[in-house]
Amino acid sequence: MYMIPVRCFTCGNVISSSWEDYKKRVEERKKEMGTNEIRVGDILDDLGIKRYCCRRMILSHVELVDALAKY
Amino acid sequence: MMERDRKVIGGFETKIDIRELSDRRAKFILSGVSSAFANAIRRSAIAEVPTLAIEDINIYENTSVLFDEMLALRLGLIPLETDLESYVLRSECKCEEGCPQCQVSLTLSAEGPKVVYSGELKSSDPKIVPSDERIPLIKLMEGQKVYLEAIARLGKGQEHSKWQPAMCSYKNMPIISVSKCNGCGDCVEVCPTGILKLDDTLKITNELDCSLCRLCEDICELGAIHIGSDPTAFVFNLESHGSLPAEEVILRSIDNIKEKTDGLKKCLKKLS
Repeated sequence: MYMIPVRCFTCGNVISSSWEDYKKRVEERKKEMGTNEIRVGDILDDLGIKRYCCRRMILSHVELVDALAKY
Repeated sequence: MMERDRKVIGGFETKIDIRELSDRRAKFILSGVSSAFANAIRRSAIAEVPTLAIEDINIYENTSVLFDEMLALRLGLIPLETDLESYVLRSECKCEEGCPQCQVSLTLSAEGPKVVYSGELKSSDPKIVPSDERIPLIKLMEGQKVYLEAIARLGKGQEHSKWQPAMCSYKNMPIISVSKCNGCGDCVEVCPTGILKLDDTLKITNELDCSLCRLCEDICELGAIHIGSDPTAFVFNLESHGSLPAEEVILRSIDNIKEKTDGLKKCLKKLS
């Protein structure tokens, strides 16, 4: 998808406002641990994303807007 | 714990016990009602309480990578802080073309390179602003521009989910009973919500958090633990999306049920 969806598809909770925080914290942790295989569950808990419908929105999102910006 | 009101509805003694109440969240136990009554409140809160959301958009310029339609959809989903005292539904408004009583105009003008957030929307009414300012709307590259005007109107969740004021759900009140427990601790390990604790005897720390999954019942060889539920008590969980405070959503949903039943009463009187 181009950009993170504004709301969760299932429950309608606004999740997009947490995306940038999440991305930053995941990158930081990857650097810290020196590996791409990290656990992110506690970051989602911390951002207040509790339900699994909302969690999958963030977990499974691939940001494509930068790749498409060239065209 | 607060006990707000006691009333008798249909032979039951109805009681509301508020466990948690903040701007965004509400958790309460409604006891002494039928499941139909509890469901009426849930459905009314989701589908009948009006909120403001962006409905029409005039795009004057959009040179970003997002199509106009995608941008419009993203804008529509932004929750706007709603003042239900000063706005009326379009269908109930006296005007024909739209007036300051039934619509608000918001403008957005931005030039790249940057990420445009919902906080950059400029509203014609200072009270009506996006309740979350950090929603990323579009990413603009060098030289890309967006200039648009958005018209927000009141609407109901039954028409489109962007007007849904809250997420509302309920479950039956869990009742956990323990007898003849030998203290093996299997149920403590298997419980996904972690509400069981084993000191000398088995203790239940927070009954309300029980998800009624019955894993503890299945693992207990002695059959010592039993999970039941009270069919007349409901644990409500309401989470506002930001346009209205949680308390207002509940109160308005109940007002809505009252209005509907009054309407029904009047209709029936006419017939008899």
